[in-house]
Amino acid sequence: MTWRGIRLSSDIRSALEQLDRRELREIAKQRKISIPRSWSKTLIVELLALNVSRQDIPTLGTKPRETRIKSNGVPAIIMKDLVKRFEDVTAVDDLNLEIEQGELFSLLGPNGAGKTTTINILSGILEPTEGTAIVAGFDVTKNLEEIREIIGVCPQEAAVFKFLNARENIELFGSLHGVPGKELEERTNTFLELLGLAEASRRMAKGYSGGMLRKLNLMIALISDPQIAFLDEPTVGMDPRARRKTWEFIGSLKDQNKTIILTTHYIEEAEALSDRVGIIDYGRLIELGTPQELVEKYETKNLEQVFLKITGRRILEGI
Amino acid sequence: MELKKLIRQPANLFLNLLFPAVLTIVFVFAFADPELGMSINSVVPGLIVYAVIFVIMTIAQSFSTERQEGLLKRLRITPMTSSEFMGSQIITHMLIAVLQVIVVFTLAFLLGFRPDSGIQGIFLALPVTAIFSLSSVGLGLITATVSKTPEAATGISFVFILPQMFFGTFIPITSTTEQIARFMPSYYLLDALKMIFEGDWMNPNTFLDLGVISMVSTAIVVIGIVLFDKYGSE
Repeated sequence: MTWRGIRLSSDIRSALEQLDRRELREIAKQRKISIPRSWSKTLIVELLALNVSRQDIPTLGTKPRETRIKSNGVPAIIMKDLVKRFEDVTAVDDLNLEIEQGELFSLLGPNGAGKTTTINILSGILEPTEGTAIVAGFDVTKNLEEIREIIGVCPQEAAVFKFLNARENIELFGSLHGVPGKELEERTNTFLELLGLAEASRRMAKGYSGGMLRKLNLMIALISDPQIAFLDEPTVGMDPRARRKTWEFIGSLKDQNKTIILTTHYIEEAEALSDRVGIIDYGRLIELGTPQELVEKYETKNLEQVFLKITGRRILEGI
Repeated sequence: MELKKLIRQPANLFLNLLFPAVLTIVFVFAFADPELGMSINSVVPGLIVYAVIFVIMTIAQSFSTERQEGLLKRLRITPMTSSEFMGSQIITHMLIAVLQVIVVFTLAFLLGFRPDSGIQGIFLALPVTAIFSLSSVGLGLITATVSKTPEAATGISFVFILPQMFFGTFIPITSTTEQIARFMPSYYLLDALKMIFEGDWMNPNTFLDLGVISMVSTAIVVIGIVLFDKYGSE
Protein backbone atom coordinates (compact mmCIF):
# COMPACT_ATOMS: atom_id res chain seq x y z
CA MET A 1 0.00 0.00 0.00
CA THR A 2 1.30 3.48 -0.78
CA TRP A 3 0.42 6.90 0.50
CA ARG A 4 1.73 9.97 -1.33
CA GLY A 5 4.21 7.73 -3.07
CA ILE A 6 5.63 6.28 0.14
CA ARG A 7 5.32 2.56 0.77
CA LEU A 8 3.56 1.74 4.01
CA SER A 9 3.88 -1.37 6.05
CA SER A 10 0.42 -2.90 5.81
CA ASP A 11 0.65 -4.77 9.13
CA ILE A 12 1.46 -1.53 11.00
CA ARG A 13 -1.41 0.15 9.30
CA SER A 14 -3.89 -2.61 10.05
CA ALA A 15 -2.68 -2.73 13.66
CA LEU A 16 -3.28 1.01 13.91
CA GLU A 17 -6.72 0.67 12.39
CA GLN A 18 -7.67 -1.68 15.22
CA LEU A 19 -7.16 1.12 17.73
CA ASP A 20 -9.62 3.85 18.58
CA ARG A 21 -8.81 7.53 18.25
CA ARG A 22 -7.87 7.91 21.91
CA GLU A 23 -5.36 5.07 21.67
CA LEU A 24 -3.93 6.49 18.46
CA ARG A 25 -3.50 9.86 20.13
CA GLU A 26 -1.67 8.20 23.01
CA ILE A 27 0.83 6.67 20.57
CA ALA A 28 1.23 10.06 18.87
CA LYS A 29 1.81 11.68 22.24
CA GLN A 30 4.48 9.13 23.16
CA ARG A 31 6.20 9.69 19.82
CA LYS A 32 5.82 13.49 20.23
CA ILE A 33 3.77 13.76 17.04
CA SER A 34 1.35 16.65 17.07
CA ILE A 35 -2.14 15.87 15.79
CA PRO A 36 -4.84 18.53 15.36
CA ARG A 37 -8.06 17.83 17.30
CA SER A 38 -10.18 17.98 14.16
CA TRP A 39 -8.33 15.13 12.40
CA SER A 40 -10.34 12.05 11.54
CA LYS A 41 -9.18 8.57 12.54
CA THR A 42 -8.19 7.78 8.95
CA LEU A 43 -5.88 10.78 8.79
CA ILE A 44 -4.30 9.95 12.15
CA VAL A 45 -3.69 6.34 11.03
CA GLU A 46 -2.10 7.57 7.80
CA LEU A 47 0.24 9.91 9.68
CA LEU A 48 1.21 7.37 12.33
CA ALA A 49 1.76 4.62 9.77
CA LEU A 50 4.53 6.78 8.34
CA ASN A 51 6.07 7.64 11.68
CA VAL A 52 5.85 4.68 14.03
CA SER A 53 7.39 1.26 14.18
CA ARG A 54 5.81 -2.02 15.26
CA GLN A 55 7.18 -1.60 18.80
CA ASP A 56 5.31 1.67 19.25
CA ILE A 57 1.96 -0.03 18.91
CA PRO A 58 0.65 -1.63 22.09
CA THR A 59 -0.08 -5.34 21.95
CA LEU A 60 -3.80 -4.72 22.12
CA GLY A 61 -3.54 -3.34 18.62
CA THR A 62 -2.63 -6.77 17.29
CA LYS A 63 -5.59 -8.52 18.85
CA PRO A 64 -9.04 -8.55 17.35
CA ARG A 65 -11.13 -5.68 18.66
CA GLU A 66 -13.79 -8.03 20.02
CA THR A 67 -11.26 -9.82 22.21
CA ARG A 68 -10.17 -6.55 23.71
CA ILE A 69 -13.70 -5.53 24.55
CA LYS A 70 -14.49 -8.81 26.21
CA SER A 71 -11.29 -9.12 28.15
CA ASN A 72 -11.15 -5.89 30.15
CA GLY A 73 -14.21 -6.77 32.23
CA VAL A 74 -15.58 -3.23 32.45
CA PRO A 75 -19.31 -2.83 31.74
CA ALA A 76 -20.01 -1.33 28.31
CA ILE A 77 -22.54 1.05 29.80
CA ILE A 78 -23.02 2.37 33.30
CA MET A 79 -25.91 4.60 34.28
CA LYS A 80 -25.82 5.94 37.80
CA ASP A 81 -28.62 8.03 39.31
CA LEU A 82 -29.39 9.25 35.81
CA VAL A 83 -32.04 11.95 35.55
CA LYS A 84 -33.31 13.92 32.59
CA ARG A 85 -35.91 16.65 33.03
CA PHE A 86 -37.62 18.70 30.34
CA GLU A 87 -39.05 21.70 32.19
CA ASP A 88 -41.65 20.07 34.46
CA VAL A 89 -41.51 16.59 32.91
CA THR A 90 -39.07 14.00 34.24
CA ALA A 91 -38.35 11.73 31.27
CA VAL A 92 -35.62 9.67 32.98
CA ASP A 93 -35.92 9.35 36.72
CA ASP A 94 -33.02 8.06 38.78
CA LEU A 95 -31.99 5.32 36.38
CA ASN A 96 -29.33 2.91 37.63
CA LEU A 97 -28.22 0.22 35.22
CA GLU A 98 -25.14 -1.59 33.98
CA ILE A 99 -24.94 -3.30 30.61
CA GLU A 100 -22.17 -5.80 30.02
CA GLN A 101 -19.90 -5.90 27.00
CA GLY A 102 -21.20 -8.21 24.31
CA GLU A 103 -24.69 -8.13 25.79
CA LEU A 104 -27.87 -7.60 23.83
CA PHE A 105 -30.00 -5.58 26.18
CA SER A 106 -33.58 -4.61 25.41
CA LEU A 107 -35.18 -1.57 26.94
CA LEU A 108 -38.94 -2.00 27.01
CA GLY A 109 -41.63 0.39 28.06
CA PRO A 110 -44.85 2.07 26.98
CA ASN A 111 -44.79 5.17 24.76
CA GLY A 112 -43.14 8.05 26.56
CA ALA A 113 -41.55 5.80 29.18
CA GLY A 114 -38.11 7.36 28.60
CA LYS A 115 -36.46 4.76 26.32
CA THR A 116 -35.47 7.14 23.53
CA THR A 117 -34.41 9.83 25.99
CA THR A 118 -32.10 7.30 27.64
CA ILE A 119 -30.57 6.39 24.28
CA ASN A 120 -30.22 10.08 23.41
CA ILE A 121 -28.30 10.65 26.64
CA LEU A 122 -26.04 7.64 26.07
CA SER A 123 -25.27 8.74 22.51
CA GLY A 124 -24.51 12.31 23.56
CA ILE A 125 -27.47 13.97 21.88
CA LEU A 126 -28.93 15.05 25.22
CA GLU A 127 -27.11 16.06 28.37
CA PRO A 128 -28.31 14.43 31.58
CA THR A 129 -29.83 16.78 34.15
CA GLU A 130 -28.29 14.77 36.96
CA GLY A 131 -26.28 11.60 37.41
CA THR A 132 -23.64 9.88 35.37
CA ALA A 133 -23.63 7.89 32.15
CA ILE A 134 -20.47 6.06 31.13
CA VAL A 135 -20.16 4.48 27.68
CA ALA A 136 -17.16 2.18 27.12
CA GLY A 137 -15.40 3.91 29.97
CA PHE A 138 -16.10 7.40 28.66
CA ASP A 139 -18.28 9.95 30.42
CA VAL A 140 -21.03 11.23 28.09
CA THR A 141 -20.64 14.76 29.40
CA LYS A 142 -16.87 14.90 28.94
CA ASN A 143 -15.69 12.46 26.27
CA LEU A 144 -18.21 12.78 23.47
CA GLU A 145 -15.53 12.75 20.77
CA GLU A 146 -14.31 9.32 21.90
CA ILE A 147 -17.84 7.98 22.34
CA ARG A 148 -18.82 8.97 18.80
CA GLU A 149 -15.91 6.92 17.47
CA ILE A 150 -17.23 3.69 18.95
CA ILE A 151 -21.01 3.89 18.84
CA GLY A 152 -23.60 3.42 16.14
CA VAL A 153 -27.10 4.79 16.54
CA CYS A 154 -30.18 3.69 14.65
CA PRO A 155 -32.70 6.43 15.42
CA GLN A 156 -36.42 5.86 15.72
CA GLU A 157 -37.20 7.86 12.59
CA ALA A 158 -35.54 6.76 9.35
CA ALA A 159 -32.95 9.53 9.12
CA VAL A 160 -31.58 9.04 5.61
CA PHE A 161 -30.85 11.41 2.76
CA LYS A 162 -33.84 10.91 0.46
CA PHE A 163 -32.07 12.24 -2.61
CA LEU A 164 -29.16 9.84 -2.29
CA ASN A 165 -29.44 6.13 -2.99
CA ALA A 166 -28.86 3.45 -0.34
CA ARG A 167 -25.26 2.86 -1.32
CA GLU A 168 -24.45 6.58 -1.25
CA ASN A 169 -26.15 7.01 2.12
CA ILE A 170 -24.21 4.14 3.67
CA GLU A 171 -20.92 5.21 2.13
CA LEU A 172 -21.43 8.82 3.22
CA PHE A 173 -21.88 7.87 6.87
CA GLY A 174 -19.15 5.22 6.63
CA SER A 175 -16.67 7.79 5.38
CA LEU A 176 -17.70 10.21 8.14
CA HIS A 177 -16.74 7.46 10.59
CA GLY A 178 -13.39 7.07 8.81
CA VAL A 179 -14.01 3.58 7.41
CA PRO A 180 -11.33 3.01 4.75
CA GLY A 181 -12.54 2.90 1.13
CA LYS A 182 -12.15 -0.78 0.26
CA GLU A 183 -13.45 -1.97 3.61
CA LEU A 184 -16.39 0.41 3.28
CA GLU A 185 -17.30 -0.95 -0.13
CA GLU A 186 -17.07 -4.56 1.04
CA ARG A 187 -19.10 -3.91 4.16
CA THR A 188 -21.73 -1.96 2.20
CA ASN A 189 -22.13 -4.85 -0.24
CA THR A 190 -22.42 -7.36 2.60
CA PHE A 191 -25.06 -5.30 4.43
CA LEU A 192 -27.08 -4.70 1.28
CA GLU A 193 -27.09 -8.42 0.54
CA LEU A 194 -27.84 -9.48 4.11
CA LEU A 195 -30.80 -7.15 4.47
CA GLY A 196 -32.08 -7.69 0.94
CA LEU A 197 -31.57 -4.17 -0.34
CA ALA A 198 -28.92 -4.90 -2.97
CA GLU A 199 -31.25 -4.64 -5.95
CA ALA A 200 -32.64 -1.28 -4.89
CA SER A 201 -29.29 0.09 -3.78
CA ARG A 202 -28.89 2.40 -6.78
CA ARG A 203 -32.35 3.89 -6.49
CA MET A 204 -32.88 7.13 -4.65
CA ALA A 205 -34.14 6.54 -1.11
CA LYS A 206 -37.13 8.83 -1.64
CA GLY A 207 -38.80 6.02 -3.57
CA TYR A 208 -38.27 3.43 -0.81
CA SER A 209 -41.05 1.86 1.22
CA GLY A 210 -41.12 2.34 4.98
CA GLY A 211 -39.53 -1.06 5.54
CA MET A 212 -36.72 -0.37 3.09
CA LEU A 213 -35.99 2.96 4.77
CA ARG A 214 -35.82 1.17 8.12
CA LYS A 215 -33.29 -1.32 6.77
CA LEU A 216 -31.19 1.49 5.37
CA ASN A 217 -31.49 3.31 8.69
CA LEU A 218 -30.08 0.24 10.44
CA MET A 219 -27.27 -0.28 7.93
CA ILE A 220 -26.12 3.32 8.34
CA ALA A 221 -25.97 2.82 12.11
CA LEU A 222 -23.77 -0.24 11.79
CA ILE A 223 -21.50 0.63 8.87
CA SER A 224 -18.74 1.85 11.17
CA ASP A 225 -18.62 -1.57 12.86
CA PRO A 226 -19.37 0.06 16.23
CA GLN A 227 -18.46 -1.54 19.53
CA ILE A 228 -21.78 -0.42 20.96
CA ALA A 229 -24.97 -0.08 18.91
CA PHE A 230 -28.13 1.71 20.02
CA LEU A 231 -31.08 0.46 18.02
CA ASP A 232 -34.21 2.49 18.71
CA GLU A 233 -37.18 0.51 17.41
CA PRO A 234 -35.27 -0.69 14.35
CA THR A 235 -38.02 -2.91 12.92
CA VAL A 236 -41.04 -0.60 13.15
CA GLY A 237 -42.94 -0.62 9.85
CA MET A 238 -41.28 -3.77 8.52
CA ASP A 239 -43.33 -6.69 7.24
CA PRO A 240 -42.93 -9.95 9.21
CA ARG A 241 -40.44 -11.42 6.72
CA ALA A 242 -38.23 -8.33 6.72
CA ARG A 243 -38.48 -8.17 10.48
CA ARG A 244 -37.36 -11.79 10.76
CA LYS A 245 -34.42 -11.08 8.45
CA THR A 246 -33.47 -8.08 10.55
CA TRP A 247 -33.62 -10.18 13.71
CA GLU A 248 -31.16 -12.60 12.15
CA PHE A 249 -28.95 -9.67 11.24
CA ILE A 250 -29.07 -8.25 14.77
CA GLY A 251 -28.44 -11.75 16.14
CA SER A 252 -25.32 -12.01 14.00
CA LEU A 253 -24.00 -8.83 15.65
CA LYS A 254 -24.35 -10.49 19.01
CA ASP A 255 -22.18 -13.30 17.71
CA GLN A 256 -19.51 -10.69 16.95
CA ASN A 257 -19.55 -9.71 20.63
CA LYS A 258 -21.04 -6.29 20.00
CA THR A 259 -22.95 -4.59 22.78
CA ILE A 260 -26.45 -3.84 21.56
CA ILE A 261 -29.05 -1.73 23.28
CA LEU A 262 -32.41 -2.30 21.66
CA THR A 263 -35.70 -0.56 22.26
CA THR A 264 -38.77 -2.12 20.76
CA HIS A 265 -42.52 -2.39 21.01
CA TYR A 266 -42.41 -5.93 19.64
CA ILE A 267 -42.04 -7.87 22.85
CA GLU A 268 -41.47 -11.13 20.97
CA GLU A 269 -38.51 -9.42 19.30
CA ALA A 270 -37.00 -8.62 22.70
CA GLU A 271 -37.73 -12.12 23.94
CA ALA A 272 -36.11 -13.75 20.92
CA LEU A 273 -32.99 -11.63 20.83
CA SER A 274 -32.16 -10.32 24.29
CA ASP A 275 -29.79 -11.57 26.93
CA ARG A 276 -31.53 -9.31 29.41
CA VAL A 277 -34.44 -6.89 29.33
CA GLY A 278 -35.13 -3.82 31.39
CA ILE A 279 -38.69 -2.51 31.64
CA ILE A 280 -39.01 1.19 32.27
CA ASP A 281 -42.03 3.30 32.96
CA TYR A 282 -42.27 6.99 33.81
CA GLY A 283 -38.50 7.06 33.36
CA ARG A 284 -37.88 4.54 36.14
CA LEU A 285 -36.46 1.06 35.80
CA ILE A 286 -39.20 -1.14 37.20
CA GLU A 287 -37.97 -4.60 36.23
CA LEU A 288 -34.74 -6.19 35.12
CA GLY A 289 -33.68 -9.71 34.22
CA THR A 290 -33.41 -12.31 31.50
CA PRO A 291 -36.66 -12.98 29.62
CA GLN A 292 -36.81 -16.41 31.25
CA GLU A 293 -36.32 -15.01 34.76
CA LEU A 294 -39.11 -12.50 34.30
CA VAL A 295 -41.50 -15.06 32.85
CA GLU A 296 -40.86 -17.31 35.85
CA LYS A 297 -41.09 -14.48 38.36
CA TYR A 298 -44.47 -13.26 37.11
CA GLU A 299 -45.73 -16.78 36.35
CA THR A 300 -46.75 -15.93 32.81
CA LYS A 301 -46.45 -17.73 29.49
CA ASN A 302 -44.28 -15.16 27.79
CA LEU A 303 -42.58 -11.80 28.10
CA GLU A 304 -45.49 -9.94 26.52
CA GLN A 305 -47.72 -10.99 29.41
CA VAL A 306 -45.04 -9.86 31.85
CA PHE A 307 -44.93 -6.52 30.14
CA LEU A 308 -48.71 -6.12 30.20
CA LYS A 309 -48.83 -7.16 33.84
CA ILE A 310 -46.22 -4.60 34.85
CA THR A 311 -47.23 -1.70 32.67
CA GLY A 312 -50.93 -2.47 32.41
CA ARG A 313 -51.97 0.53 34.42
CA ARG A 314 -50.80 2.84 31.65
CA ILE A 315 -52.71 0.87 29.07
CA LEU A 316 -55.80 1.08 31.27
CA GLU A 317 -55.24 4.82 31.54
CA GLY A 318 -55.26 4.90 27.74
CA ILE A 319 -51.73 6.25 27.36
CA MET B 1 -21.82 14.46 -1.97
CA GLU B 2 -23.28 17.74 -0.66
CA LEU B 3 -23.48 19.05 -4.21
CA LYS B 4 -25.06 15.80 -5.39
CA LYS B 5 -27.71 16.07 -2.68
CA LEU B 6 -28.57 19.60 -3.75
CA ILE B 7 -28.56 19.04 -7.47
CA ARG B 8 -30.77 15.93 -7.24
CA GLN B 9 -33.58 17.80 -5.55
CA PRO B 10 -35.84 19.24 -8.25
CA ALA B 11 -36.79 22.28 -6.15
CA ASN B 12 -33.16 23.10 -5.41
CA LEU B 13 -32.06 22.46 -8.97
CA PHE B 14 -34.71 24.89 -10.16
CA LEU B 15 -33.92 27.50 -7.54
CA ASN B 16 -30.15 27.29 -7.97
CA LEU B 17 -29.61 26.86 -11.68
CA LEU B 18 -32.81 27.04 -13.72
CA PHE B 19 -34.25 30.03 -11.87
CA PRO B 20 -31.22 32.25 -12.61
CA ALA B 21 -31.38 31.06 -16.22
CA VAL B 22 -35.07 31.90 -16.56
CA LEU B 23 -34.54 35.21 -14.77
CA THR B 24 -31.72 36.14 -17.10
CA ILE B 25 -33.82 35.55 -20.20
CA VAL B 26 -36.96 37.24 -18.85
CA PHE B 27 -35.25 40.21 -17.24
CA VAL B 28 -32.94 40.90 -20.13
CA PHE B 29 -35.96 41.08 -22.44
CA ALA B 30 -38.02 43.06 -19.90
CA PHE B 31 -35.49 45.56 -18.58
CA ALA B 32 -32.60 45.83 -21.04
CA ASP B 33 -34.40 48.50 -23.01
CA PRO B 34 -33.06 51.96 -23.85
CA GLU B 35 -36.56 53.34 -23.29
CA LEU B 36 -36.18 52.34 -19.62
CA GLY B 37 -32.70 53.79 -19.58
CA MET B 38 -31.12 50.36 -19.10
CA SER B 39 -28.92 48.21 -21.29
CA ILE B 40 -28.06 44.55 -21.00
CA ASN B 41 -24.71 45.58 -19.50
CA SER B 42 -26.46 47.36 -16.65
CA VAL B 43 -28.91 44.51 -16.00
CA VAL B 44 -26.46 41.56 -15.81
CA PRO B 45 -24.61 42.54 -12.58
CA GLY B 46 -27.98 42.88 -10.86
CA LEU B 47 -29.05 39.47 -12.14
CA ILE B 48 -25.95 37.85 -10.66
CA VAL B 49 -26.66 39.45 -7.28
CA TYR B 50 -30.31 38.43 -7.55
CA ALA B 51 -29.40 34.79 -8.18
CA VAL B 52 -26.98 34.59 -5.25
CA ILE B 53 -29.48 36.19 -2.86
CA PHE B 54 -31.71 33.15 -3.42
CA VAL B 55 -29.06 30.94 -1.79
CA ILE B 56 -30.64 32.26 1.44
CA MET B 57 -33.79 30.31 0.64
CA THR B 58 -31.97 27.17 -0.52
CA ILE B 59 -29.82 26.92 2.57
CA ALA B 60 -32.69 27.73 4.94
CA GLN B 61 -34.82 25.01 3.34
CA SER B 62 -31.96 22.52 3.24
CA PHE B 63 -31.03 22.93 6.93
CA SER B 64 -34.60 22.98 8.21
CA THR B 65 -35.48 19.88 6.15
CA GLU B 66 -32.43 17.97 7.41
CA ARG B 67 -33.26 19.01 10.96
CA GLN B 68 -36.90 17.94 10.58
CA GLU B 69 -35.89 14.55 9.15
CA GLY B 70 -33.49 13.87 12.02
CA LEU B 71 -30.45 14.03 9.75
CA LEU B 72 -28.69 16.82 11.62
CA LYS B 73 -29.06 14.82 14.81
CA ARG B 74 -27.67 11.76 13.05
CA LEU B 75 -24.72 13.74 11.68
CA ARG B 76 -24.01 15.05 15.18
CA ILE B 77 -23.48 11.48 16.39
CA THR B 78 -20.71 10.89 13.84
CA PRO B 79 -17.08 11.82 14.57
CA MET B 80 -17.44 14.75 12.15
CA THR B 81 -17.02 18.04 14.00
CA SER B 82 -19.56 20.83 13.56
CA SER B 83 -16.88 22.98 11.92
CA GLU B 84 -16.24 20.24 9.33
CA PHE B 85 -19.98 20.04 8.69
CA MET B 86 -20.40 23.79 8.37
CA GLY B 87 -17.27 24.00 6.22
CA SER B 88 -18.69 21.50 3.74
CA GLN B 89 -21.98 23.42 3.59
CA ILE B 90 -20.22 26.73 3.03
CA ILE B 91 -17.97 25.38 0.28
CA THR B 92 -20.95 23.74 -1.45
CA HIS B 93 -22.95 26.94 -1.49
CA MET B 94 -19.98 29.00 -2.62
CA LEU B 95 -19.62 26.58 -5.52
CA ILE B 96 -23.30 26.95 -6.30
CA ALA B 97 -22.89 30.73 -6.34
CA VAL B 98 -20.01 30.35 -8.81
CA LEU B 99 -22.15 28.04 -10.97
CA GLN B 100 -24.94 30.59 -10.90
CA VAL B 101 -22.60 33.31 -12.13
CA ILE B 102 -21.50 31.02 -14.96
CA VAL B 103 -25.12 30.26 -15.92
CA VAL B 104 -26.12 33.95 -15.91
CA PHE B 105 -23.02 34.87 -17.86
CA THR B 106 -23.38 32.22 -20.50
CA LEU B 107 -26.99 33.11 -21.18
CA ALA B 108 -26.37 36.84 -21.02
CA PHE B 109 -23.48 36.42 -23.45
CA LEU B 110 -25.76 34.57 -25.86
CA LEU B 111 -28.27 37.41 -25.51
CA GLY B 112 -25.67 40.03 -26.39
CA PHE B 113 -23.88 40.89 -23.14
CA ARG B 114 -20.33 42.07 -23.90
CA PRO B 115 -18.61 43.57 -20.82
CA ASP B 116 -15.92 46.21 -21.41
CA SER B 117 -13.67 44.17 -19.14
CA GLY B 118 -13.68 41.17 -21.46
CA ILE B 119 -13.09 37.70 -20.08
CA GLN B 120 -10.94 39.01 -17.19
CA GLY B 121 -13.98 40.68 -15.68
CA ILE B 122 -15.81 37.39 -15.62
CA PHE B 123 -12.94 35.69 -13.81
CA LEU B 124 -12.82 38.51 -11.27
CA ALA B 125 -16.57 38.39 -10.74
CA LEU B 126 -16.45 34.73 -9.70
CA PRO B 127 -14.41 35.05 -6.46
CA VAL B 128 -16.12 38.32 -5.48
CA THR B 129 -19.53 36.67 -5.85
CA ALA B 130 -18.32 33.57 -3.99
CA ILE B 131 -17.28 35.75 -1.03
CA PHE B 132 -20.65 37.52 -1.09
CA SER B 133 -22.41 34.14 -1.06
CA LEU B 134 -21.12 33.74 2.52
CA SER B 135 -23.60 36.40 3.59
CA SER B 136 -26.41 34.43 1.92
CA VAL B 137 -25.23 31.27 3.72
CA GLY B 138 -25.24 33.16 7.03
CA LEU B 139 -28.68 34.67 6.46
CA GLY B 140 -29.93 31.22 5.40
CA LEU B 141 -28.67 29.77 8.67
CA ILE B 142 -30.32 32.55 10.67
CA THR B 143 -33.56 31.84 8.78
CA ALA B 144 -33.28 28.10 9.51
CA THR B 145 -32.64 28.88 13.19
CA VAL B 146 -35.89 30.77 13.59
CA SER B 147 -37.99 28.55 11.28
CA LYS B 148 -39.63 25.44 12.71
CA THR B 149 -40.39 23.85 9.33
CA PRO B 150 -38.99 24.01 5.77
CA GLU B 151 -42.21 25.74 4.69
CA ALA B 152 -41.73 28.43 7.30
CA ALA B 153 -38.10 28.76 6.21
CA THR B 154 -39.21 29.55 2.65
CA GLY B 155 -41.50 32.33 3.83
CA ILE B 156 -39.14 33.79 6.42
CA SER B 157 -36.22 33.83 3.95
CA PHE B 158 -38.01 36.63 2.07
CA VAL B 159 -37.41 38.90 5.05
CA PHE B 160 -33.76 38.89 3.93
CA ILE B 161 -34.29 38.39 0.19
CA LEU B 162 -36.76 41.21 -0.55
CA PRO B 163 -34.84 44.18 0.90
CA GLN B 164 -31.66 43.11 -0.88
CA MET B 165 -33.62 42.52 -4.08
CA PHE B 166 -35.19 45.99 -4.08
CA PHE B 167 -32.17 47.89 -2.86
CA GLY B 168 -29.27 46.08 -4.40
CA THR B 169 -29.99 44.49 -7.75
CA PHE B 170 -31.04 45.84 -11.13
CA ILE B 171 -34.12 47.65 -9.81
CA PRO B 172 -33.41 51.40 -10.17
CA ILE B 173 -32.88 53.26 -6.91
CA THR B 174 -33.16 56.98 -6.17
CA SER B 175 -30.71 59.03 -4.14
CA THR B 176 -33.07 58.63 -1.16
CA THR B 177 -33.43 54.87 -1.42
CA GLU B 178 -29.67 54.62 -1.96
CA GLN B 179 -29.25 55.63 1.68
CA ILE B 180 -31.20 52.50 2.64
CA ALA B 181 -29.41 50.40 0.03
CA ARG B 182 -26.08 51.16 1.71
CA PHE B 183 -27.18 48.89 4.56
CA MET B 184 -27.61 45.95 2.16
CA PRO B 185 -24.59 43.71 1.43
CA SER B 186 -25.95 43.21 -2.10
CA TYR B 187 -25.52 46.93 -2.85
CA TYR B 188 -21.75 46.61 -2.53
CA LEU B 189 -21.58 43.49 -4.70
CA LEU B 190 -23.64 45.22 -7.37
CA ASP B 191 -21.38 48.26 -7.26
CA ALA B 192 -18.23 46.11 -7.42
CA LEU B 193 -19.54 44.00 -10.31
CA LYS B 194 -20.52 47.11 -12.30
CA MET B 195 -17.01 48.50 -11.95
CA ILE B 196 -15.42 45.15 -12.73
CA PHE B 197 -17.46 44.71 -15.92
CA GLU B 198 -16.68 48.26 -16.96
CA GLY B 199 -13.00 47.30 -16.72
CA ASP B 200 -12.58 49.76 -13.83
CA TRP B 201 -11.43 47.25 -11.25
CA MET B 202 -8.41 49.28 -10.20
CA ASN B 203 -10.79 51.98 -8.99
CA PRO B 204 -10.30 52.40 -5.20
CA ASN B 205 -14.08 52.07 -4.78
CA THR B 206 -13.89 48.49 -6.06
CA PHE B 207 -11.48 47.65 -3.26
CA LEU B 208 -13.68 49.49 -0.79
CA ASP B 209 -16.67 47.44 -1.96
CA LEU B 210 -14.65 44.23 -1.76
CA GLY B 211 -13.57 45.12 1.78
CA VAL B 212 -17.16 45.75 2.85
CA ILE B 213 -18.38 42.53 1.17
CA SER B 214 -15.65 40.47 2.84
CA MET B 215 -16.14 41.91 6.30
CA VAL B 216 -19.93 41.95 6.29
CA SER B 217 -20.22 38.47 4.73
CA THR B 218 -17.75 36.97 7.21
CA ALA B 219 -19.56 38.59 10.12
CA ILE B 220 -22.97 37.38 8.91
CA VAL B 221 -21.80 33.81 8.31
CA VAL B 222 -20.14 33.65 11.74
CA ILE B 223 -23.33 34.96 13.40
CA GLY B 224 -25.36 32.44 11.37
CA ILE B 225 -23.15 29.50 12.39
CA VAL B 226 -23.14 30.47 16.07
CA LEU B 227 -26.91 31.00 16.21
CA PHE B 228 -27.71 27.81 14.32
CA ASP B 229 -25.29 25.77 16.38
CA LYS B 230 -26.75 27.07 19.63
CA TYR B 231 -30.46 27.33 18.90
CA GLY B 232 -31.20 25.80 15.52
CA SER B 233 -29.60 22.38 15.30
CA GLU B 234 -32.18 20.49 17.40
